Amino acid sequence: MTFKKLFLVSIFFACQFALAQNDSIRTLEVVEISDLQLKNYSNSQSVQKLNDSIINKNQSSLTSLLNYNTVIYFKENGLGMVSSPSFRGTTAQQTAVIWNGININSQLNGQTDFNTLTTRNFDNITVRAGGGSSIYGSSAIGGSIHLNNNLSFRNHFDNELRLNYGSFNTFGGNYKVDVSDGKFAVQASISRNSSDNDYEYLDTDRKNENGQFYNTSVNVVAGYKLNDSNIFKIYSQVFDSERHFSGTINAVSKSKYQDVNTRNMLEWIGLYSKFTSKLKVAFISENYKYFENAQADFFTHGKAETAIAKYDLAFDLTENISINSIFEYNQTKGFGSDIQETTREIGAGTLLFKHSVSDKFLYEVSVRKELTNTYESPVLFSLGTNYKVASFYTVKINASRNFRIPTFNDLYWQGSGNADLNPESSYQAEIGNEFRYKELTFSATGYYIKIDDMLRWSPGTGGIWTPNNVAKVETYGAEGYLNWNKNFGKNTIDFNASYAYTISKDEKLDKQLIYVPYHKLTSSASYSFGNFTAYYQYLFNGEVFTSSDNAYTLDGYSVSNIGVNYTFFKTANLGFEVLNLWNENYQITLNRPLPGRNYSVNLTFNF
Amino acid sequence: MKFSKLFLVALTGAVFFVSCNSDDDKAPQLPLGAYDNGFLVLNQGNFLAGNSEVTYISNDFATQQNEIFSTVNPTTLGDTGQDIGFNDEKAFIVLNGSNSIQVVNRYTFEMLATITTGLSNPRYIAFANGKGYVTNWGDGGVATDDYVAVLDLTSYAVTATIPVVEGPERIIEEDNKLYVAHQGGYGYGNSVSVISASSNTVTSTIAVGDVPNSLEIENGVLYVLCAGKASWTNDETPGALHQINLNGNQNTSYAFPAGQHPSNLVIEDNKMYYTVDSDIFVKTTNATLPTQPLFSTTSQGVYGVYSFAVENDKIFVGDAGDYSSNGKVYIYSLTGSLEKEYTVGVTPAGFYFNE
Repeated sequence: MTFKKLFLVSIFFACQFALAQNDSIRTLEVVEISDLQLKNYSNSQSVQKLNDSIINKNQSSLTSLLNYNTVIYFKENGLGMVSSPSFRGTTAQQTAVIWNGININSQLNGQTDFNTLTTRNFDNITVRAGGGSSIYGSSAIGGSIHLNNNLSFRNHFDNELRLNYGSFNTFGGNYKVDVSDGKFAVQASISRNSSDNDYEYLDTDRKNENGQFYNTSVNVVAGYKLNDSNIFKIYSQVFDSERHFSGTINAVSKSKYQDVNTRNMLEWIGLYSKFTSKLKVAFISENYKYFENAQADFFTHGKAETAIAKYDLAFDLTENISINSIFEYNQTKGFGSDIQETTREIGAGTLLFKHSVSDKFLYEVSVRKELTNTYESPVLFSLGTNYKVASFYTVKINASRNFRIPTFNDLYWQGSGNADLNPESSYQAEIGNEFRYKELTFSATGYYIKIDDMLRWSPGTGGIWTPNNVAKVETYGAEGYLNWNKNFGKNTIDFNASYAYTISKDEKLDKQLIYVPYHKLTSSASYSFGNFTAYYQYLFNGEVFTSSDNAYTLDGYSVSNIGVNYTFFKTANLGFEVLNLWNENYQITLNRPLPGRNYSVNLTFNF
Repeated sequence: MKFSKLFLVALTGAVFFVSCNSDDDKAPQLPLGAYDNGFLVLNQGNFLAGNSEVTYISNDFATQQNEIFSTVNPTTLGDTGQDIGFNDEKAFIVLNGSNSIQVVNRYTFEMLATITTGLSNPRYIAFANGKGYVTNWGDGGVATDDYVAVLDLTSYAVTATIPVVEGPERIIEEDNKLYVAHQGGYGYGNSVSVISASSNTVTSTIAVGDVPNSLEIENGVLYVLCAGKASWTNDETPGALHQINLNGNQNTSYAFPAGQHPSNLVIEDNKMYYTVDSDIFVKTTNATLPTQPLFSTTSQGVYGVYSFAVENDKIFVGDAGDYSSNGKVYIYSLTGSLEKEYTVGVTPAGFYFNE
């Protein structure tokens, strides 16, 4: 096996480097964060980091956080139900979710359900727009969402308890402990969210029946500093949820769906002079059960288990030139009631290069090639520059080739899967402009994506649905972010806005893709005075088409939230929130109304 | 490149964009008042999308109206329309996804009642002995909870349930008896249940080929068309056409060639019509199965005939297209020349002649 050879070679190199002089000067980030490339090789793209203060100001689902703070559009099948993103007009399968550097999109359906991730388990969530396949592999076409835990070895002991309760018997609880003595470090959290979710459909006498859900997750990151050069870390996460799938305005549902996902990763960080090496071994599993009738015992299920070995070696050739190689071997086994049991092996090699020509100008290049016996993999690449034209203006240009590999469902679904599929692949380019002037930051990015070999499920002869690489899609648009932040005395004002204009066209039909709005706008304003904070959030999603011939549409909508927070005894915080303040009757997905005005209180203790 | 233009939009739009949620809906259409002397097309819509509707087309092909249910009534029809049955002045629209039946006046299309209890995955409807008989799958994954619901046509209550084997699909009435084809639901059936409308019990079971998908009775003969199991089941079986003499005489069966899976049996003027994928076949009574199709719908781009009828010397084909867009209805002469073409609603699933 070629992968094994590659792996051996890289291990051999690591040992050599270990003999090199230990310089011991490394940025904290190398130790704290697993996903090094996010910081080091994302200079030519738009990157938006949502830190814990924003995370805490939003509802706990990843859908809600990103919906109100980024340009990503979400198609949510009712509150808390299956949620799929469309990033820059692409599909959910063309958006990668990266957990501490590891791609966790489902091996079964290729996407991440954004309502199966609790934001409070993470220290920061970063949205990296545009192509990222040359670093992160499959699905990073529209962009990638990075969920990161920072493990700090600074001597500390912190606890945080957060509780919230709201309309429809919605409960959220999160406890997090973060401790280190300088040698050992542990961050652990446990979260629980549940809701009866039985809100009234506005202007009707009906309720959202069978929509109750709960999820529980446990997250542990632990590290041990053997010496200045060798650090071991373990990341572990378990997510368990049960959701009853609510019906539509015309059909009551009785189904439910259970997810159990586990993610475990062991990491050995080596800091040797000009080299940084990270050896990672990870095991991730996903498991779903679908009960057509929640009251009955019968269910269908699917499971995928992935083992990953990854060797990541970064080398500073000079002060201004960095090189990074990554070798990865990935084995996935998929099985379940509807797919043929299959094992897939993928090996990948990545080379990244960055040259800071001057303080003002850098360029970066990355190339990746995957090898697998299942399909042909294209050579993936990314080329980008970052040029600081003036003290207030930076321009970023990036071009890349990316892909999305066929999933186990696409390939092996019994009776329908098509084993002869190729990956979807894209060529894309973007230009970003960043302006900073005093307290004002503004960025505007224009992009163009051409996607070939898009997988489409369509009925073939005999009416059997099968996927084929038939569609071509052209997506282009522009997105802008605005931030203004001002302090005067005890007062702080913060204003954020994002706007996206998206055209995403099926080339054959010459029609906009379904559930891709032309316009999306978000904005939020907050005002703090001493211990008191008030904020307002606004979201506008434009009209979407619900049929591929664009004959049917779903109206756009505006939703606003308002909230106040008060901090007392320096360690406790009490908040009150009104969601959907103007009681807008709206649907994100056809015939699935969302809740009207509702309320939530939250209490946070830090000790 | 249109980037320069787009930038302008973003620069100005991002900050000053105003939510102009305009209501630019098309002018509302008016009810025709009478939906007779024509036929109805049941547009299934998409499962869980609640976008089922009905199209009316007049017999002279001069008038077409889509979405007649919501044009006449202040509400939407429901989720996944499966079948329409006519009984006197009433039309019973069976909605699989909604687990309900909408009862309307078949000529004005005004709503009379919505039946929501006693149904579980309802499929098709027939009438006998002054009652409605509705096939129900129960939970699709469970083979033992399937039944035929007996519907009181004045109180609209399900008054009895008749347990049957898995996957009861099409149902027809003859001589106060009901014949239920067990296509198989999520599995594969191979029988026809005979139910007495007097006793509401299954009185006998007729063994047929795998996956019986359509049936008709003409002159005391029950015709059952079986698709056979598809190749992807890894247990492919051939299709079959059975002629079962209800008064006990000799039965006849025709076996289809391997790999051919027929559906949509219609008997009209002593001819048997059926479809295989995109092809329309016609068989004369007692003749062998034709080897060549009468014609093919592939020139219209039809993947597989989704719905089919033969009436008034015309052949009607419903094409679901990509199942997301509006479907098409094609009307052919009996020799297969295309005469009319209509854009209807999403997933046209059946034709119902409203004379």
